[in-house]
Amino acid sequence: MKAHKIIVIGDFGVGKTSLIRRYVLDVFSDQYRATLGVHLYKHSDTIPINGTEELVKLVLWDIEGAPLPGEQMMRYSLGASGAIVVGDLTRTDMTEPMQRAADMIEARLPGRPMGFALNKCDIAPVPDTAEIAALKDRYGAFIACTSAKTGDAVPALFRDLTLRIIGGKAESV
Amino acid sequence: MSSVSSFDAHIILEGIRIVAVRVDEDLIVNEVVGDWCDIPVGEDVRDTVPALIGMEEELAQEVPYLQLPFVSLGMQHEQPVAISVQRDTGTGHLWILLRDVSEEASVQERLVHQHNSLAIAHKELSAARDAVLAADQAKTRFLANISHELRTPLNVVIGGASILRKPRKTPLSNEDVQAFSDDIHDCGVLLLQLVDDLIDLSRAETGNLTIYEEWCNPSAIITEIIRLARGLPEAQGVDILYQPNGSEPELFADPRRVKQILLNLLSNAVKVCGPGSRVFIETAIVENGDMTITVRDTGPGMSSEDLTIALEPFGQPNAETRSRGTGLGLAIVARLADLHQAEFNIVTAPGEGLSATTRFPSRRLSSLNG
Ligand SMILES: Nc1nc2c(ncn2[C@@H]2O[C@H](COP(=O)(O)OP(=O)(O)O)[C@@H](O)[C@H]2O)c(=O)[nH]1
Ligand SMILES: [Mg+2]
Repeated sequence: MKAHKIIVIGDFGVGKTSLIRRYVLDVFSDQYRATLGVHLYKHSDTIPINGTEELVKLVLWDIEGAPLPGEQMMRYSLGASGAIVVGDLTRTDMTEPMQRAADMIEARLPGRPMGFALNKCDIAPVPDTAEIAALKDRYGAFIACTSAKTGDAVPALFRDLTLRIIGGKAESV
Repeated sequence: MSSVSSFDAHIILEGIRIVAVRVDEDLIVNEVVGDWCDIPVGEDVRDTVPALIGMEEELAQEVPYLQLPFVSLGMQHEQPVAISVQRDTGTGHLWILLRDVSEEASVQERLVHQHNSLAIAHKELSAARDAVLAADQAKTRFLANISHELRTPLNVVIGGASILRKPRKTPLSNEDVQAFSDDIHDCGVLLLQLVDDLIDLSRAETGNLTIYEEWCNPSAIITEIIRLARGLPEAQGVDILYQPNGSEPELFADPRRVKQILLNLLSNAVKVCGPGSRVFIETAIVENGDMTITVRDTGPGMSSEDLTIALEPFGQPNAETRSRGTGLGLAIVARLADLHQAEFNIVTAPGEGLSATTRFPSRRLSSLNG
């Protein structure tokens, strides 16, 4: 069975590692440890696709938050089937870096689906701004308000992206 | 384009933490050179090196380009590796090279760590610098204030004296002469007090203010300073109330300095209060046996911001309550209290009066009768 590569990108500390670890291992830690280089997580999930439960294999790339030089980012994004862009709801400048990341994905991985995670919704309200609506329209992406801490919307985020990679229809999100 | 054969690889890789993996077009492992990590032969290389998942197209190229400088090997595996690929031009075999980069990783980790510690140190340093700057500003303010405080009475002295000594056709009236000499005298007294205060303050700052301790009687001291305070012109119409309870213990302290503390507090109190108001002096023995002497007024009080200013040398928070003191009073009181290991504490709020308490530790007390 083919496995799919998904890259997870976003600034330092927005919660990329936490989201992946919540999804794959169902754990959360308050401690912050910067990711050096790239960590890979293999994960198998059963997702309802067109009415039947199907097993999918994923490899999630947790990419360090430092603004990577273009060439290095290209190496890491090579062969990815989709991308998750993570933003931090507690930051005032959340959308700007997300847009930059999404533009980069569009350029490197044209036509691949993307998901946006507005993370840390357990500690910050979700702003109902035009900016967020614009993000959704512009990239046609699924936007989830996630919490790696409580697990809110975390599986939905990854499953929606997987469904769109496979080309199946979401049952309900 | 360089090429690699199994033979070369054996020689190159001995003792080095590199593993070379030869795979077929389906990415099944045919040969592994080096034993630094476990890559099973006959299985899909993507199972043990998941970083290769999604790279199939690239790996199928005649000259594949794949350089991953720093990825974890796979599974929830922390082992960092650098991955590169080369095609053996002779046989067309694809070699995947895995190199252990733990050392680079730990160097990088140390760098990140050092960077973080530096950031913390930088924060602490800038806090320290801010404190130094603040102290420097306080010193500048102090110097500006002191020159002002010295010049004002000196100008009165010089101005008054020059009027008196100036030859004139019609001599000054007796009243005028009296008024000018009064001014000169008062300003001289104020200047002397200011200079004394400054000497005290600078001695306290440099740790050279000595106190001469002996057993003394607090109520006798209080009674005496009340007498002195009643003589102040501002004390006219102010009721100063004190009820000695007759059983105060003796206090081991410098009586001159205790008087200085209380007179400072009391004269501040009568100055801000105005006629018709009352000022209280109270002594008490508190729970742990310490003795407090409190000077409490019913004046306008002040906000905590103003209080902070008032405790600085020359800090007089607002011009209206500014009076003829040297402006060094509270700063000196705080230091004198400190020399007696006494706590000096002010409780005040706008409209609620002000109460200043000096708390002498119990070890400085003894019962009057033994
Ligand atoms: N409250 C809360 N904290 C989070 C959440 N996600 C991550 N964090 C915290 O944010 C910090 C950075 O998370 P991490 O996943 O390491 O960020 P990364 O640099 O993007 O990988 C850590 O202290 C996490 O515990 C969340 O959903 N809610
Ligand atoms: Mg991380």
